[in-house]
Amino acid sequence: MDENKSISGRPDESFVSTGFPAIDEVIDRLRMGDNVVWQVDEVENYSILARRFAKTALDEGRKLIYIRFAPHPLILKPRENLLTIKVDSAQGFDSFSTQVNTIIEQQGPGAFYVFDNLSALVEDWATDQLLANFFQVTCPYLWEMDTVAYFALTRGKHSHVAVARIRDTTQVLIDVYRIAGNLYIHPLKVLGRYSSQMFLPHRFSNQSMSPIFQSGEASEVLARASRQPLRRKADSSVPWEAVYKKLSRVEEAELVSPELAQEVGALKQEFCRMLLGDSPRFNFLADKYLSLNDLFAIRNRMIGSGRIGGKAAGMIVARKILLEAHGEMDFGRLLEQHDSFFIGSDVFFSFLVNNDLFRLRMRLTRSSQISDEEFRQVEERFLAGKFSPEILGQVQDMLDYFGQAPIIVRSSSLLEDGFGNAFAGKYRSEFCANQGRPEQRMEAFLNAVKLVYASAVNPDALAYRKQRGLGESDEQMAILVQRVSGFRYKNFFFPQLAGVAFSHNLYRWTDRIDSAQGLVRLVFGLGTRAVNRVGGDYPRMIAISHPDLRQETGSQIAAYSQRRVDLLDLDSNAFCTKPFADIAADGDYPGLHLFVSSIENDFVQDPVGILVGRLKHPVLTFNNLLGQTDFVRALKEATAELERVYGYPVDTEFTAFVGPQGNIRINLLQCRPMRLPGAKFNDTQVSWPSRQESVLFRAGRMIPGGVIDRIRYIIFVDPDAYSQKASLNEKKSLGRVVGSINRHPALQENRAMLMGPGRWGSSNISLGVNTSYADINNVSALVEIALESAGHVPELSYGTHFFLDLVESHIIYLPVYPDDPAADFNFSFFEKAPNSLGQILPEYLPYANFVKLIDVPALTGNRFVTIIADAQSQKAVCFLEEDAAPDKE
Amino acid sequence: MSTNNPFEIARQQIDACAQILKLESHVHEFLRNPMFEVHVSFPVRMDDGSTKIFQGFRVQYNDAKGPTKGGIRFHPEETIDTVRALAAWMTWKCALVDLPLGGGKGGVICNAKEMSKAELERLSRGYIRSVYQFIGPDKDVPAPDVYTNPAIMAWMMDEYSKIAGKNKFGVITGKPICLGGSLGRGDATARGGMYTIREAAKVLGLELKGATIAIQGFGNAGNYAASLARDLFGCKIVAVCDSKGGAYCQQGIDHDGVCQFKAETSSVVDCPKTERISNEDLLEMDVDILIPAALENVITEKNAPNIKAKIVAELSNGPTTPEADEILHEKGIHVIPDFLCNAGGVTVSYFEMVQNLYMYAWDEATVHERLDKKMTLAYHSVLKTSKSLGINMRKAAYVVAVQRVVEAMKLRGWV
Repeated sequence: MDENKSISGRPDESFVSTGFPAIDEVIDRLRMGDNVVWQVDEVENYSILARRFAKTALDEGRKLIYIRFAPHPLILKPRENLLTIKVDSAQGFDSFSTQVNTIIEQQGPGAFYVFDNLSALVEDWATDQLLANFFQVTCPYLWEMDTVAYFALTRGKHSHVAVARIRDTTQVLIDVYRIAGNLYIHPLKVLGRYSSQMFLPHRFSNQSMSPIFQSGEASEVLARASRQPLRRKADSSVPWEAVYKKLSRVEEAELVSPELAQEVGALKQEFCRMLLGDSPRFNFLADKYLSLNDLFAIRNRMIGSGRIGGKAAGMIVARKILLEAHGEMDFGRLLEQHDSFFIGSDVFFSFLVNNDLFRLRMRLTRSSQISDEEFRQVEERFLAGKFSPEILGQVQDMLDYFGQAPIIVRSSSLLEDGFGNAFAGKYRSEFCANQGRPEQRMEAFLNAVKLVYASAVNPDALAYRKQRGLGESDEQMAILVQRVSGFRYKNFFFPQLAGVAFSHNLYRWTDRIDSAQGLVRLVFGLGTRAVNRVGGDYPRMIAISHPDLRQETGSQIAAYSQRRVDLLDLDSNAFCTKPFADIAADGDYPGLHLFVSSIENDFVQDPVGILVGRLKHPVLTFNNLLGQTDFVRALKEATAELERVYGYPVDTEFTAFVGPQGNIRINLLQCRPMRLPGAKFNDTQVSWPSRQESVLFRAGRMIPGGVIDRIRYIIFVDPDAYSQKASLNEKKSLGRVVGSINRHPALQENRAMLMGPGRWGSSNISLGVNTSYADINNVSALVEIALESAGHVPELSYGTHFFLDLVESHIIYLPVYPDDPAADFNFSFFEKAPNSLGQILPEYLPYANFVKLIDVPALTGNRFVTIIADAQSQKAVCFLEEDAAPDKE
Repeated sequence: MSTNNPFEIARQQIDACAQILKLESHVHEFLRNPMFEVHVSFPVRMDDGSTKIFQGFRVQYNDAKGPTKGGIRFHPEETIDTVRALAAWMTWKCALVDLPLGGGKGGVICNAKEMSKAELERLSRGYIRSVYQFIGPDKDVPAPDVYTNPAIMAWMMDEYSKIAGKNKFGVITGKPICLGGSLGRGDATARGGMYTIREAAKVLGLELKGATIAIQGFGNAGNYAASLARDLFGCKIVAVCDSKGGAYCQQGIDHDGVCQFKAETSSVVDCPKTERISNEDLLEMDVDILIPAALENVITEKNAPNIKAKIVAELSNGPTTPEADEILHEKGIHVIPDFLCNAGGVTVSYFEMVQNLYMYAWDEATVHERLDKKMTLAYHSVLKTSKSLGINMRKAAYVVAVQRVVEAMKLRGWV
């Protein structure tokens, strides 16, 4: 069929109205040749649409034929010029199809048709395959005859396969549903037409169609409208399908005897393991909190088969924990409904096998290193991979469901976010702005999935796996597809608020802060700026015990605030970063008065009421949000409840929306056990140094707990040399030099401490050495030096992926302020110590002015370095061991 | 003899001045001590329900010329000697610009960063209750200083007014504009400095249009100085720096570009279209005007011989050591000393008092015009004294200020 027929060069009369200008506007009107299928819950909704169409057609002098065959009430009542033709469907598919095709032939080109609800045919024919067959033979003929025809289907009455065949054949497919008294129109397919909001659900009234762009409302409406959104073969051979069928029968039976209840319980547990995995600690929570319906909902939204992975499971269980909590907050009202989909872990393996990637992955997992260049080639191979038609069909259904709402494709591997392994940021997450024609959106989505799959073998992930002793263990990659929270503002889409919330506060910069209450790292816009370490830009750090305390005053507040916003640009269909000042420029962003303050001449002023127009220099402080809404109280209760149930501190990701009345809605995106630093060393018996001359430095701010002894090497990046002497290129290269030292066998066999200016891991090299986790993963301690003369400030990296990596790897992080006399910083030790860099890596000798490798026992007569950090007293000391010990290495 | 005690330093400066002016010993002795100081201790209810006791001070150094004027500092390491020294310096600064005011200062030992907004409000109100009887629009008028801001001034004014039973906006300056704060306060310090630079240029015959300027420090004062020098006189800013280093461009730095870059990276270093220079190099650059606008003691006997600027305008406090001062004087470099160059701030504070007392709000142009008059007069008084006594500008400034205070004391019959 020539898809372009309806859009290429037809005169104006080829445009046809539905009778509703608002619908015409959204779908860019009907075209001659269109078959229009309305998928409805009740035939009455179809009648409303068909009657207006018929009236308009007749008023315009069109020939209109009503094909009457169903027992339901008349769709069109007899009137002048309307030709009603009764067709007998009881004679079967063949007779019915022949009769209808004859009518089309007799009426000739240009006639309009309204058919009764096609679902009635199933009553007579007993199979919806024949219904699809009827459609497949009739629809192309109607198209050839340049007609416009209206059909209806009752949603949920037919197999997904039959609906899919109809979808493939028709030109226009539109979902119609009524929820809470409102009628919604949701175009799923409109051949040859496109607009930026066409495929969103729209709230419909006679006069208007309002697109549902606010994510919370969209997920609520769609999740209720479409409980089984994915096509699934009746004879599916998915492993858990048998268990599912047994359980569904039981559910339908309702009356459950004690024996049956026991059997159901066992089956439910089995089903739960099949979907979620077999971590005993986590399954205990899942069994307790997830009902049979919750598990069915997961199954109904899973593409392919297998498990949903740790991230997805954590999100689902955490939401249920909160929904069942009995605290002061009503989480039922507070939490936004989720309508995520899952790509089962089996799909990952099938993809590897079918695309000849399995052996490649095996080889990469076993080898310890892979260069960035090699990895790019690997990514290319993944991108060239193909999915099976069955998976593509389900993906199509999912994309129809989301329409043009932006989505995020997130890794959810089986090991990810479990107790002990966060894999924070190791695997990829990809935003799909999800704009464009259906086939473009499909391609973008599949590419995102392939990139997430490829990230299973990225260099950082492989280094992490090796470090954690997981190199050979089974790692399957499931995928979580989440609706991106937020709403459209101008041509951008982003949430008002996003961030990470911890139930335990490690960022305790004053003893007034209660560590047992949590910490929130909050940003405006997409949460990528909260979970990643972004140079020169700062999220708002909120101590839940003291929300309005902050370390900065006056103009420092502006300097240490978020100045750039991550968002999705719907016009360019891409993720982008914009200055906050641009977004706030017009002052009409909803809720802006809760997020900004004005800072002029060191004076911070919060907006009065909702007026922000007068703010000369808007700075993101979130002051009014903290002072005037329940935001902090909600997160405090949520994190506390999750920690109570998990029996362990937790680390969550969220987005939030503040309604016009200041009412908060939170979308919980992720929840995982939080790792606390130094736990591994707490039992070690070590004495504090007795002699001042042994001390290399002391630290007294934000101290994690832990002890590390027998440190042999110190990698010392000289802050003054870095700041004053290093050229831009030298600074850029230093991360690589540090990475090479880190990977050297000598460092892998001995403990090492890494010291350097400002912030490790920052992408802005003027703020600190740019390293990734793979560049520092073998060190035992990471020290950030804040030397006043060099102008470096350690960033409080708590909450970033980089920080989590340190915590989980038991790498102790210490910020040191050498200018503070209490730091006892032993300048002369670091200045005078000879540099061993040339001995182990002679090729990096040109960098010896900036990087010093100190072999401590060689320098001190077999003395090693120890670090003791006491979280209680917030004191840490790094010193030379006082009794020379025999070398046990 | 060198000392770290700021009050000792302030006293040494008075001693040197007394020697030049040949003050009688009792007058000299009187000037070496504050006339009045009060130590207060007051309770503040904390958010967690506990009560914490805070210590505070208020020093009125000398009120011969009028009500004392000076900021309130909230600092964890506040000492009475710091407050005394700062109060003395305020006395000389107010006298130098010939304001009808004396000098004062106050402080509370506290860590404002570790206190919530509500706690800070209770602390501010508690302090005012403690010093209420010693301050007032015709007695002693506080203002913002380290870790205090217009919001705190508003609470303090409100507390004072409540106790007084009437609105007393003039009891404090640096208030938000809508509570009687003055327009033109934000850039007052830099703008006042610009007026003194203009006068100095006239004296030296230096054409300001196209004159080159290097600014050490790019905080509030340095930033305003850069934009005002460009907008008022057409000067060319060729170098700026901050704690991390400097940026240089012979053709003139794009001020808006640097501001944007600093906002994004927290530094001016490596700003596009500039070359990197060190802070030390910036001070020794061959420019017409050097404006130190950040740290103390950056011009020392070591680098003073290499300073090439024709004018050094001290927008920051104490950028030049006494030894360097003499070297610059001998080299013929024209120094506009700190408490003259940066007196624009207190002058506009005084304007705020005046406006409050008259219940009138001037427009910005009026503020600028009056500030210009005050700064210009002050500059020429100092220059005249420097020339007539053959002393450097700093000593001349002290002489002018102290002489005015002593004259007032004498006329009042105190000494």
